[in-house]
Formats: sequence, structure tokens, C-alpha cells
Amino acid sequence: MAKVTLTPDSGFARELMDAGGDSLKKCYQCATCAVACPMAPDNSPYPRKEMVWASWGQKDKLMGDPDIWLCHNCGNCAELCPRGAKPADVMSAARNVVYKNLVGPAKVGEWMSSPKGLPMLFLIPAVLWLVVWAIMANCFAGGEWFPRVDGRIVFGSIFYGDYTIDPLFMITFFGALFLIAKGCVKLWKQFRQTKGKTLVLGPTKPWYIHLVQMLWDEVVTHKKFDDCQTGPRTGQPENSRKFGHICMIIGFASLAVVTAIVAGGHWIGKVIPFLSIHTPMPLYFPVKLLANFGAIVLIVGLVSLTLRRKRQNPKFFSSNYHDWYLLGIIWAVALTGLLSQLFRLADAVHCAFLVYYLHLVFVWMLFAYLPWSKLGHLAYRATALLYVRMYGRG
Amino acid sequence: MASKIGVYFDAANIGGGLDIDVLAAGVKAKWGSACPVIKTYAVLADNAADIRTDIQAEGLDGVLIVGPSPREDVEIYRFPVLTERVNLRMHAVLSYEEPDGSHPETGAPATPLLQQIATDYINMGVVKLQKGNLPDSAALEQGVRRILVVGGGFTGLTAASEAASSGYEVVLVEKTDRLGGAVNNIPTGSPLHSPWEDKEATNLKDRIASVQGNPKIKIYMSSTVAKLEGQPGEYNLTIKTPAGEETMQIGSAVVACGWTPLDPKYLESMGLGVSPKVITSAEFGKRFLAGQITERRIAFVLDTTIAENIMAAKEAEEKAAREAAAAAAAEAPAAPAEEGEKPGFVKENLECINHLRYSNAVNAVGMLRLANTVCEKTEDVTQCYVLYKDMVVPGILERFYKKMQDRLGVMMTKADVTSIREEGDHMVVSCENTLLGMDFDLDCDLVVLPTGLVPVSAKEAIMQFQYRQGPEFPDLDLFDGFLDSNYICFPYETRRTGVYAAGCVRQPMTLDGCLLDARGAVLKAIQAIESAEHGVAVHPRSGDATYPVFNFVRCTQCKRCTEECPFGALDDDEKGTPKPNPGRCRRCGTCFGACPERVISFSNYNIDQIGSMIREVEVPKDFKVGGPRILILACENDAYPALDMAAMQGHTWSPYVRIIPVRCLGSVNAIWISDAMSKGYDGVMLLGCKYGDDYQCHFVKGSELCARRKVNIAETLNRLGVQPERVELFELAIDEANRVTDMIDGFVKTIEEMGPNPFKAM
Repeated sequence: MAKVTLTPDSGFARELMDAGGDSLKKCYQCATCAVACPMAPDNSPYPRKEMVWASWGQKDKLMGDPDIWLCHNCGNCAELCPRGAKPADVMSAARNVVYKNLVGPAKVGEWMSSPKGLPMLFLIPAVLWLVVWAIMANCFAGGEWFPRVDGRIVFGSIFYGDYTIDPLFMITFFGALFLIAKGCVKLWKQFRQTKGKTLVLGPTKPWYIHLVQMLWDEVVTHKKFDDCQTGPRTGQPENSRKFGHICMIIGFASLAVVTAIVAGGHWIGKVIPFLSIHTPMPLYFPVKLLANFGAIVLIVGLVSLTLRRKRQNPKFFSSNYHDWYLLGIIWAVALTGLLSQLFRLADAVHCAFLVYYLHLVFVWMLFAYLPWSKLGHLAYRATALLYVRMYGRG
Repeated sequence: MASKIGVYFDAANIGGGLDIDVLAAGVKAKWGSACPVIKTYAVLADNAADIRTDIQAEGLDGVLIVGPSPREDVEIYRFPVLTERVNLRMHAVLSYEEPDGSHPETGAPATPLLQQIATDYINMGVVKLQKGNLPDSAALEQGVRRILVVGGGFTGLTAASEAASSGYEVVLVEKTDRLGGAVNNIPTGSPLHSPWEDKEATNLKDRIASVQGNPKIKIYMSSTVAKLEGQPGEYNLTIKTPAGEETMQIGSAVVACGWTPLDPKYLESMGLGVSPKVITSAEFGKRFLAGQITERRIAFVLDTTIAENIMAAKEAEEKAAREAAAAAAAEAPAAPAEEGEKPGFVKENLECINHLRYSNAVNAVGMLRLANTVCEKTEDVTQCYVLYKDMVVPGILERFYKKMQDRLGVMMTKADVTSIREEGDHMVVSCENTLLGMDFDLDCDLVVLPTGLVPVSAKEAIMQFQYRQGPEFPDLDLFDGFLDSNYICFPYETRRTGVYAAGCVRQPMTLDGCLLDARGAVLKAIQAIESAEHGVAVHPRSGDATYPVFNFVRCTQCKRCTEECPFGALDDDEKGTPKPNPGRCRRCGTCFGACPERVISFSNYNIDQIGSMIREVEVPKDFKVGGPRILILACENDAYPALDMAAMQGHTWSPYVRIIPVRCLGSVNAIWISDAMSKGYDGVMLLGCKYGDDYQCHFVKGSELCARRKVNIAETLNRLGVQPERVELFELAIDEANRVTDMIDGFVKTIEEMGPNPFKAM
């Protein structure tokens, strides 16, 4: 006699549909998708089972399912689906629900999952940086909102590292990092809960080896994106994200290095003056070169990924709000970053400060909301990938 | 009785090195003035006009086409005189092999053996014409252009208005006091039109109104058929109405009396009738219409394995008990049979658990529709769990399935439902082997079970035929009471000519099926009247103008023909003299095969005719020199086409066989076997269609009857000192051309080993 009492929940199914899984009711469980998917493992493949869980509103099952993170969204499943369902989109919607609910405060998750929350999300850093701007202008620049230092535009004269940018961003960054870590731990627990205790037979490897191998396969070589393309030929044009995705990663990595050097130079320079770096850096300075290289690569990646989304056949793929939010915010960060530099060099003081202010707002949005945004996948997906590797799946 | 026969050789369709001039000279020498015209054409089909001219100019009363198979160019060789075909192409040339099984060289002149085969077949053709006649017309002067429709449900209403709009009068007989039948109890229908996606209004009110307002349709409410006698085009119908009996004439009938729900006792093990929270889908429809569905968690259970297993166990028990009782009865001394009393007709109730299975597709469509409807009404506040074992959605309704499941509140999974029980204020449905990858219990407020559609014909004799074979359609138990027939390709046919079945009485079906059925059955009903007016057969020998003629002087009233007629065409009087009803007859000749006195004949198919053809073959006196001779009587519906196809595909057979087509193996009269034996044939092959459970007979049981009659023939042969193995029946399906060579050559070999027929010398 069956013991578990199933609790079907059409409310959760509705949540998934709203988060981008609007086709989930179309599935009639033929499992063509699970066969078509080049990534699905042989035992208990996805996304067939995820589709029926979604239809029955099985929240716990889906939230604790590492398989939703294995999908790289090649769309083979949707192209071959005889019913016009888009399983990859349903998986993506399930991930969106994870972003929304994994960590608190719940309100941010809610704001992050629909355009209605956007003004609020924007307003928080906008007010924050405006206050900083006002204080700094009045206290240090003698009431001058758009000051020049020695005839030059120096953003640091208003958004001064020591007391404003760095502490605020560090709090933001480490706060987000903490929340993400909390999320990863929670996710891990959810996986263990739904999958139960897994007995791994044969030789096992320690988790850090798995981590290194995973980073090599997934991040450095982007091998999985190639696997995605080896699925059955569907007659649709090849639609690889590999190039764009790699560009983004390189761009972000470069900019992270630049930030680290600048911050490091600034703070370490206080102790060892020799290593001190002053901004603005001259254009030929290697760090500056790296920064601009990063920005350009980022924009190339953005163009590639944005065009790709635009060219997608809506019959088989749809882009949901989480997708567009992330692309949008990175666009905003990159454009405002580049523009503020250009305005600075062009000596357009008002524009330069205004755009730089916006740049700060968007950068803050990018980092502060990371645990609830699609960008969170860099931690959550890594967690899931590590989990499946450790338990012999994937 | 053709006395002036034109013989036409179609050279293009003969070939094989046969010397046509010699054959023509042979005809002239043998038949002389009986065949005044003998002509050879390179391509006869192009010169059919010449034949017409000859018929006019020479006064021919018979035409013999020598060459292609009679299954080819049928339209070209249709003449106003008796016409016969000699199939040299397939049965002599293409199928020819030497006695040792080898094949002659291409382009070589025909061997004497092949020339002899051709001569035999041509002579048989001439004799067949000489012994045949054109039929006298059995046409009615004017058929009654009125169609009876039994049942005023969705199918019946459609049939009535379709028949009326085709210009026929309609009598609609409805048993209850309300038109519309089962459709009264459903909120919306399954799709009736392209694109077959969404629920559709049944428009029942409009349909009823248009039937009620049609001056061509006369409706009898609360009425049933009391009697139907006569034949298509001139039936006498008696209706039992609340105001007494009423009689009238009708031409043909459509039976659309639908279904009744399966007795709830069959689903008791699933809680039906035990808990008020378990109902059938039919009941659910009614309650929904009455606004009484307030439950928020509803399980639609399509898997009825629990009930089926319990009923199977019960049936096995009952069967064992019956057998034990029969064994006990066999031991007890038999009670003296009551004499004089003819047992009255008692309708057997054919309702059974199988009706639930047969209704699976209709229930799948119905439950999807109901689940979607209730979710739509409550904006998905209601959750409907559809638990199926097989989601069987017929044909294009797949699109409907797609649309119905695409609703938030409709949740579906394949599941083995292992128990349904009440717990506290709700029901618990246990599911195993589900698509969710786990076994689980489902709490719900209402459980909806499928409705078994039991055809009314399983419980009542609807038409009350005043036929010799009784008031009921024959062999309904084969179809568990569904008003179906053996004609798998012809859905509306019943085994009572002029009466056609439509809708759920024939097979459980969705509304679109009912609509199609009603139209199809009406067309058949119209065809039956028209055919009666033209005096020709309806399906399957459509257009055949011949009919059995009885020579009553010699009839011994043995009743074999009236009992064996598969279609109940023959009535009889008190003494037992058969009374033919040509309108009910399908011209199979089963009566003619049954008759020991040989009093029955068709104008172009009779005992003497086939007997003469058998005798016309040259049988060599010496078996060793000339080889044996074997007669093949081949069913012209299945075996004959199979032989043609075999020859066309390059299969060959022994040159010692001679083939004669027969209407049905049921029409083979034992006298032909004696004719063959006394003529000196060494063996007889009876080639018929498959019989048994998957029979393919156009006439229901022809080859089966023949097999039974063969036992009597074998006894006779034994008495005469002829080995009964010389006469053998073979089943040859129309698609078994590849078996022909082995079948024929194998039998010839057996006969060769047996030696000559002892009668040969006499």
C-alpha cells in the first residue's frame, strides 16, 4: 500500500508558468525530450519527470532536483516535442523559482521576479548613491556637485574609495556572498533530502578534485556547451551560446581582476606606498588596458547573447524576465562604465558624473541582488554540478 | 440458354506460345453452329465495339471472352447478353509448369499439355454459357420510400433529419418520453468539426426542434417496434405506442437505439454504490448540469483493473459451477423432452464487464472533457486528477486531448489504481507505477469512475423480426451484444438485409462518430430501398440481379435452406415450404449448397451448369500416361483473387488441375463432388476463405459449412470405396498468394501417390 500522500498544488504549477514555464501543461509524457537531450544521464533522465512534477505542482520534488541545473538549454527537447511543450523552459522556470525563494528576504525575491519590482530595486541604490553624492559634494567639494580636480574629472573626488565606495561595496559584496553561500548550503540539503542517502559504489574522489574537474569542464573549456550541440539534428540553425558565454566570463574575470588590483593597490598602497595605484589610471597603464579589454569583450559577449535571444524561434524557446533582467543589467553596467570613461576623457563633466552615478547604481544592483538573480547560477549551478559528480550522476 | 455464342480471343492476354488458331479451330470443330462467331484480336479491349456490333448483326445471345482474368476490364466487357470469361492468362499460361515442376523456355511454343488446359477451359466456358440464363427481374414496381429510425438520441435525430433531407419519409420511434437520449446529460460535447480541438455545443435543442418541425418525419414517443415482417422496400412494421398498435409500410431501417449504463454492481469493488463520493462519469455530467458539483479535489479514474479482476474471478467461479452442474446433469437420467411445445424466444442478457473495456476510448474522451469543463467553470480552483491505465483517444481527437489537458487544474498520470477507500470526510485513491516515479495516495472529495456503455441490443430484441430464424439478429453474443456484423470494412451492415446499425448500439463512440454513423447508415438504408426497386442484391454482391429460384415440386420441406441461410432471407409456411424473400437475399448460394434435392438454382449459376463444366474436362483414361486430373472449386471472393495474384507474381502450379470459381464454398453442392468422381477426376480441392474466430467469409460461414458438409461427403465416398482423402478443403486468404504453389502441388503429389481414382476405368 502506498504510504506517501501526494499533495498536488496547482498554485505552484501556476508559479512555474508565470516564471517562464507556460508550456508545462502540454506534456503527455512520451519522453521524447529525455531521449533527445544530449546531456540527460541514462538512469532516470530528465526532463520528462520534471514535466510531470511541474504539472502536478510538486514543489519539493523540483526544488530539490539537481537535474534542473544540468540543463544547458539547447532546446532539442522543445524542437522534437510532439506536443509543442518547451521542457527546457520549464526547467529554466524551475530555476527561476529557486532564485526567487532560496534565500530571504522574500520581498527581494518577489521584486526580482517581475518587472513590477524593478523601480524598487533601482530606487534603493539610487537613493544610496545620491545620499553619498550629496554628502560628499557638500562636505568635501564645497557644495560643488560636479567638481574638477586640477582641471581634470576625478570620480574619486565625489565617490571616494576609502569612505564610500569601498566599504559600501564590500558590505554589499560580502553580504551577497554570504547569502549565496547560505543558498548553496540550503540547496545541497534540499538535494540530499529529496534524493535520500545515496550509496556510491566503487572508488570515490574527494570533493575538491570533483570541483576542479567540474570547473575545468564547465567553465574553462565550456565542454558542456559542445555536448549540447551534439544532440539530434532538428533542422533548426545552430544556436550556440558558447562564444557569447565565454566572452562574458572573460570580460567579468578581467574586470574582477582590475577591481581587485585597484582596490588592493589602494589599500595596500596606504601601507606600502610603492604599490599604490591612483585613479584615474593613464590609458596605457596595463591595468587600464585590461579593464578596457574586459569591457570590450563583455560587450562583444553581450551583443552575441542578445542577438541570439532575439533570433530564437519563439516556438521552441522563450526568454523570460530573469533572462532579460540579467542581460539588461550587464548591458547597463558595461555601457555606463564605458560611457563614463568616454565622458571623462571628453571632459563633459555633467554627463560624466551622472553616468558614473548610474554606473554605480547598476553595479550595486548586479552584486547586491546576485542571490536572487539568474547570475546566481554561477554558484547554484556549480553546487548542483558538484553534487551530481559526487553522487555519480552527470 | 445461350445458343449463338461469340467466342473472342484476346491475343495480348493469352501468350505463352499457345496456338490460338488451333484453339479457334477446335472450338469450331467441337461446337459448330453453337458458336457462329469466332474471332481473334490482338488487343480485344480496344475492339469491344465490334462485339456489340456482332451481338446486333449476328443475333448473338452469349459472349465468351478468352484471355484476361474476369477480374480485369469488367466495365469493358459488360454486354446486354450473357457474358462469360475464360481466364487463360492466369490459370493456363502464367501459372503453367511442367508436371515435374520445371518451367518451359520463354518463347517456346506451348506444350500439348498447355494446349489441352486451354482447350478444357474454353469448352467449360462454352458449356457454362449454354447452361446459363439472364435473370428475370425481381424488381419491385415501387419500393416504399420510408425509413424507420429506431431511437431518438443524437444518432437517431441525425439519421432522421439526414434521411428526410434526402427526400425520404421517416418514422422515428423513441422508447422514452424524451428526445435526445444520453446527450441530455452532458454539459458540452466532444468536437464535431475541424479543427477538432475544443469542446463543442451539442445544439441538442435545435436538433430536436428541426426534427420535430420536419413534415417528413413522424415521431412516435414512448413507443417500440412490435413487429417487422417482409423484405427491404416493402417491410410491414408494427409499432407499439401508448395509444395501441399501429402498422405501416417501410422500406428499410436504421437502428440507433444507443446504450444503457453498465449495472453499478460491476464497479462495486471500486466503491460505486458503496460510498456517495463515488459516481460514474454519466452521473457526474448530470450533477454538473444541475450545478451540484462543489467538490474541489476530483479523481477521474480510468483504470478499472480492480473491477475487471474481481469480475474475472467471479466469472471463472460461475463457469466452474456451471460445468459441475452440467456434469451432474449428464449423470442424472435425462428428463423426457416436452413434446409439441415450441420453446418461445427468450432474449439472453449479454451485459458483461467487457462493456467497460470497450467503452475505454469514449470514457477517456469524456473524462478529459468533464475535467476540463469543471476546471474551466471554477477557474482552476478545482483540481482534477486523471488516473489512466491507457489514454485511448481515437483518431483526430488527439487534438482534443491536447487542448483538454492544457488546463492548470487538469493533472494527469498513468497509474495502477490499487484501491479506493473512504477515510474520514474524504476518499483516498491509492496509485502505483505512476509517471511521477513513486507510489502514492491521493486525497480527494469525489471519485469519478467510467461509464460502461451497454448496447440496448445486449438486453432487448429491438426489431422483433417475424423471420423464420427468430426475432433477433443472429450471433450477437459474438460481439457481446453490440449490433455488429462480420463485415469489418462495412460498419453499418447487420446480418439482416435492409436494417442498418448506427451509433453506440454498434460500438461505443464519441459524438463525431455518431454523426458519421448516422449519415452512413442512412445512405445504406437508401441503397437498400433503391436496390429493391432495381431487383438487385445489396452488399456484398452489389448489383447482382440473379436470385435463388425454387423448384417447389421437388422440395421435401427438409428446412435445411431456411435454417442455414446466414441472413435469414428465407421464411417458410406451416408445412415447411421455403418462402424466398429476394430483397433479403445476398445471393451467396448457401441454400443451394445445402439443398439435397437440388431444387434451388440461380439463372447464371446452377447445379447442372457447374456439373456440365466439370464433365467437359478431358480426363485421360490412363493416369500413368496423361497424369491425374484434379478439380479445384475456388471461392470467388478470396481464393480466386489469391490464385490470380499468385500467377501474376510468378507462382506456378501443376498442369493437372482445373479451376472453377464458386460464389462461396457454402454454395458447393455435394453432387458436384460425385460428378467429378464419376467423371474420373482423381481428387477435388475446395479452396475457401479462413474460418474460425477470425473468419473472413463474405457470407459469414460458407467455408465452415463446407467443411462440415465435407464430413458427410467423406462418408459417402467411403461407402463407394473411394478414399475420402481425395476431397480436401483448404483455407486460402486473399493475401496468401505465396502459399498457392505448395498447396496445389502438394495435393497433386498426394493424389499421385494414392494412385488413380477407382471409378476412372468405369
